[in-house]
Amino acid sequence: MDDIDAMFTDLLGEMDLLTQSLGQETVPPEPFPSAKEEVNYSIGFTDLNESLNELEDNDLDALMADLMADLNATEEKLAAQIEDLKVPSPPPSDLPAPPKGLSAYPASSVASPTSPSSSTSSNVSTPASSSASPLPPPPPQSAKPTMEEIEAQMKADKIKMALEKLKEAKVKKLVVKVLLNDGSSKTLMVDERQSVREVLDNLFEKTHCDCNVDWSLCETNHELQLERTFEDHENLVEPLLAWTRDSENKILFQERKEKNEVFKNPQNFYLWKKDKRALKEIKDKDKELLVQENFCGTSIIVPDLEAVLHLKEDGKKSWKQRLFQLRASGIYYVPKGKTKSSRDLVCFVQFDNVNVYYAKDYKNKYKAPTDFCFILKHPQIQKESQYIKYMCCDDAWTMNLWVTGIRIAKYGVSLYDNFKTSEKKAAVSSVWTNRSTPASSNPSTPSPTIKAKSPNQANGHAQKPQERPVSKDFGSFPPAPAPPPPPPPPPMADILPPPPPDPVFPPPPPPLAAKSSKRPTPPQRHMPINFPPPPAMENLPPPPLPPPMDDSLEAPPDFLPPPPPASGFGSLPPPPPSINSLPPPPLPAGYGGMNQSLPPPPPDPGFLPPPPPQPVFTGGGGPPPPPPPPPPPPSAAPRAPVQSSGSVKKRPPAPPKRTTPSMHGGGGGGGGGGGGGGGDFMSELMLAMNKKRNT
Amino acid sequence: MAAWDLSVTVEDLGLDAPPVTVSVASDLHVGGVILKLVEKTQIKRDWSDHALWWEQKQCWLLRTAWTLEKYGIHADARLLFMPQHKSLKLGLPNGKTLRLRACFSNPVFQTVMGLCRLLNIRHPEELSLLRPVEEKKKKKDKDLAEEIYDLTEVPLSSVSRPSLYNGMPIHFAGSSEMEAIYKMLSVTQAPPAPEAIAKQYRPASVVDKAHIHGRWLDSSRCLMQQGIQENDRLWLRFKYYIYYDIEPKYDAVRLSQLYEQARWAILLEDIDCTEEEMMLFGALQYHISKVSQSEPQILSSNSAAMDDLDSALMSLEVKMEGDSSSASEMLATMTAPELNDYLKIFRPKRLTLKGYKQYWFKFQDTTICYFKSKEESIGEPIQQINLKGCEVAPDVNVAAQKFLIRLLIPAPEGMNEVYLRCENEQQYAQWMAACRLGSKGKTLADSSFQSEIQSIRSFLAMQKTSTGSHGNANASDESINTHSLVSPRYHKKYKPKQLTPRILDAYQNVAQLSLTDAVMRFLQIWQALPDFGLSYFVVRFKGSRKDEVLGIAPNRLIRIDLGVGDVVKTWRYNNMKQWNVNWDIRQMAIEFEGNVNIAFSCVTADCKIVHEFIGGYIFMSTRSREKSDTLNEELFHKLTGGHEAL
Repeated sequence: MDDIDAMFTDLLGEMDLLTQSLGQETVPPEPFPSAKEEVNYSIGFTDLNESLNELEDNDLDALMADLMADLNATEEKLAAQIEDLKVPSPPPSDLPAPPKGLSAYPASSVASPTSPSSSTSSNVSTPASSSASPLPPPPPQSAKPTMEEIEAQMKADKIKMALEKLKEAKVKKLVVKVLLNDGSSKTLMVDERQSVREVLDNLFEKTHCDCNVDWSLCETNHELQLERTFEDHENLVEPLLAWTRDSENKILFQERKEKNEVFKNPQNFYLWKKDKRALKEIKDKDKELLVQENFCGTSIIVPDLEAVLHLKEDGKKSWKQRLFQLRASGIYYVPKGKTKSSRDLVCFVQFDNVNVYYAKDYKNKYKAPTDFCFILKHPQIQKESQYIKYMCCDDAWTMNLWVTGIRIAKYGVSLYDNFKTSEKKAAVSSVWTNRSTPASSNPSTPSPTIKAKSPNQANGHAQKPQERPVSKDFGSFPPAPAPPPPPPPPPMADILPPPPPDPVFPPPPPPLAAKSSKRPTPPQRHMPINFPPPPAMENLPPPPLPPPMDDSLEAPPDFLPPPPPASGFGSLPPPPPSINSLPPPPLPAGYGGMNQSLPPPPPDPGFLPPPPPQPVFTGGGGPPPPPPPPPPPPSAAPRAPVQSSGSVKKRPPAPPKRTTPSMHGGGGGGGGGGGGGGGDFMSELMLAMNKKRNT
Repeated sequence: MAAWDLSVTVEDLGLDAPPVTVSVASDLHVGGVILKLVEKTQIKRDWSDHALWWEQKQCWLLRTAWTLEKYGIHADARLLFMPQHKSLKLGLPNGKTLRLRACFSNPVFQTVMGLCRLLNIRHPEELSLLRPVEEKKKKKDKDLAEEIYDLTEVPLSSVSRPSLYNGMPIHFAGSSEMEAIYKMLSVTQAPPAPEAIAKQYRPASVVDKAHIHGRWLDSSRCLMQQGIQENDRLWLRFKYYIYYDIEPKYDAVRLSQLYEQARWAILLEDIDCTEEEMMLFGALQYHISKVSQSEPQILSSNSAAMDDLDSALMSLEVKMEGDSSSASEMLATMTAPELNDYLKIFRPKRLTLKGYKQYWFKFQDTTICYFKSKEESIGEPIQQINLKGCEVAPDVNVAAQKFLIRLLIPAPEGMNEVYLRCENEQQYAQWMAACRLGSKGKTLADSSFQSEIQSIRSFLAMQKTSTGSHGNANASDESINTHSLVSPRYHKKYKPKQLTPRILDAYQNVAQLSLTDAVMRFLQIWQALPDFGLSYFVVRFKGSRKDEVLGIAPNRLIRIDLGVGDVVKTWRYNNMKQWNVNWDIRQMAIEFEGNVNIAFSCVTADCKIVHEFIGGYIFMSTRSREKSDTLNEELFHKLTGGHEAL
């Protein structure tokens, strides 16, 4: 028994070593502040020294601190954790993450990253095998003895934990240098589980770009003269691992129009046969419909492309023309002398194992007929090979058509999901930039709703914050860094009762502390939204709109006296600052929602009350529309769109009219009857169609 | 008012019985006539379902408050007094036949709603009734053996959604026979015998397909009006290719019937696909039939396989809750198992004439390494091959005892070809399964390893039986003739044993799907076919001298050249401003935005059918999520009805 215990402790210790650094990274919503780089393994640099020289100053600091912290911090924590492990605590599935991350944080934010990168991580290139194999399988005999159940439980927990850690130990991490448009570069650490989207979000924070939907990460292959935009849902590390050691490949952070072009101008892909002028004139609602038809149904529809393309045949130097077709299942060609019918098509390539790349300057390199080439290859192939399929198109338009079509066939709905996510992101940031003139977005006098006044409101909002254990965050943050928060005018002191007796808040002016301490741990994505409370509140979504002013004067008493001991309350963002202008009830709810990553309302369709007749997509990238009007009474809602915004364009085709008067069911007025009913019918139809659009 | 005699044939007295004559006046309402009639027959029974049918005018006298005068009935009217619900033989998409009671007096649209309610199919607006294709009456005796499932005893309820009991509508829960019928409805059928596929009518051309679409019943008229008699046979089919809000939880019957319809569309080449697609469809059918046999319950929404560690954790949790098993066993579940054996390797690209060489092979994680011999396996391997991302292809001939695994391994320089030769089935199944998992980045610890081995074995078994018994005799339960999974075209092109590896190849991508996911995948691939959703009609465009084909899709109309089969023009519904039907000359005229006008007359179908198709699709596009439960019947009729509805 004892030796088993010892063994486990050993085992866990070992794995802790391996996973030490993960504690921080696994807290998903935390961005790596730029000062917190870890050196693990670098790829794409010809030489480690050189790459160190290239790193920015703060990166260097980070690396240094990292090395320093490595030795002592690791061991201390390890010891502490082993202690912890002895307590049979039912470990939540994500167990190592939260506590470690939090305890490690203060240090990192004050001085330098502690991030104790383990020494083992240097062999991260083959981590899977190296970390898994040393695990000693337990001697089977020794484990047999019948133990008491509690003991067994403990062991089971440990095993579970061990498994968990084992899983994390396998996580690969890379330091990646990303080239920006202006020639400069950013260096960041990417772990295996991070998607391109997350890396992009990181870069947004680092570069302060406008966050529009076109920003992308691209991979270039110097040797093959290729370029590929990563899809946002892909993991970044995996393709990078395929690079060769001496590779001159690069990662670029760029705006790529073609990435989401299919969602902005679907007609160019799905109606490509129509003449180009007609495509330009297509209306927005038709575009929207196309996107819906092709990406929102049970099945994703791939544009049915057909074109004569040039193909460089395996190993040969010449280019041959063939009639190709794109289908969801792959690219096919029509063999000589056969028809275009599906059953005669010959499969050229399927997409399971290949990616599509834009090729540059192949006229020179391979004597291609034009420079509009793309290739299909297994991502691991980095050099010239007969397994690469080289295709050449007559013009850029065709090339984009095919590359996009292939992406749709390969990635399906993920592309659309990516687009929606990045659109949301873009909307959020555009709100933030527009925030500079906050006065303009003053909420129209909100219409009072009964709900907002109801006394049980307190319960309502108390619950929300409870869901997230933010209070702990605060607890771990000493009043410390206090970066200048947007000045919250504290004139409300007179209204304010003595600081809420919440133990979690050490300093007397709790709101301030809370606010400032929020800074370092912004929820990853929406950091900017969070800290300036006044504007954020002005933007509160209408549904729980606050009652008018006079109400707010009564309300505070309800709210301000010593908050209920619920820890959730501690996490409430300081309500007072805005108390003069806004009544409290809806605040917490709004805040809670916001912290949970909901952006301020206007551009986010998800937030809108059901009936507003706003087309879902218009909020897109543009400036935020004015706050949505107060929700009209439900009964009026369905009609509204029909009369006001139900434009002629939205109208479905008129129902058939009879052109010959003939027998009429009950003997009404023949054709006249039909016409008379038409008006009523049309409005019904429009109503139905409008309803559909709004959902 | 003067009284006159009205004679009415009462069906319940027998059709040979003389008509019953009642004395009526013109201002008597229909209800009064029925009352007199019933009194006169002196039969005591429930007459509530009975109504009067006026034969000359081909209409029901359903408005009992209307007077005879208002209906325009005189003494010469031939009236029939009979029940509105009659029994009907209903051919389902899965090929089975039900006998049930259907309403003969309401518009077909409502009749279908009633049938779907009975069968527990949501969204009845997507289905309709079709006159069956006449079967070739060659072997009558065979057809008589057909099994008919009887549902005539089920009372028709008017509740929009029947309450469930044991996951099935309450009217199926009564007896074991009824439960068997529900199972037939909601579980996918086993693959049909190849001969059964070959025997079925297959449309050979677009024109043939167009003729099938001429058989749809008119939704706005009742069955009686369309000449359907009691005990006639009709097909229930999904008519509109747009499936709203499929939810496996509620849609067991709908989903399985939809799958059956899609499967038959593929098998009978009602919709064209490529060979690769056909193999994938075959693999999915094989998988679905296998899983539905082993999974007794009907379609459920279990998610797909979890990844290895998750499942290891899950099983740990289960174990911890149950008896506390020893820690070592638990750990054993997570230590990666490995394979070790002597195999032969061959690298075709290396210009050697040595051929296959034997080494000691070890498979661990996703990597194969090999050593000179077992004894030297502690040291450095001769080579190590990571299989992640590689392509794995079988090359097997059971009769010749050839068990080859062809690997195409990616490397920066390109793909390296490596062949592994196994000695026997057993070894092959294991290593093949390992390679497959490895290529997907999974290890042997993955929960799917055993099932992968199992499926490789059953495919090997298929090869054996199909070579042995010429594919006809009843093979063992495990094996399926691969000809059952593909259209007859491939019966001629390939022998079953040639098909097996190709289907197996496609199978590896779908083998881990749950039943529901596999069915959904099948439907998705079907829906992604370029020709999906097209209903064809031969039409004559105004000003054109030749017949052409009009394809009606959920979102557009397509003009197709009859000779070449090329798409000439496409019009989308959302650009449509209005459409008109000239019922006298049977011509449809459609106006699109931008002053585009087309007009055509229909050749292979009544223009009402074409009109209803277009109106129906426009109706489908108005359905909205929030009120998915209530069907706007009125709107449907307005859009599809033509002059009857006005």
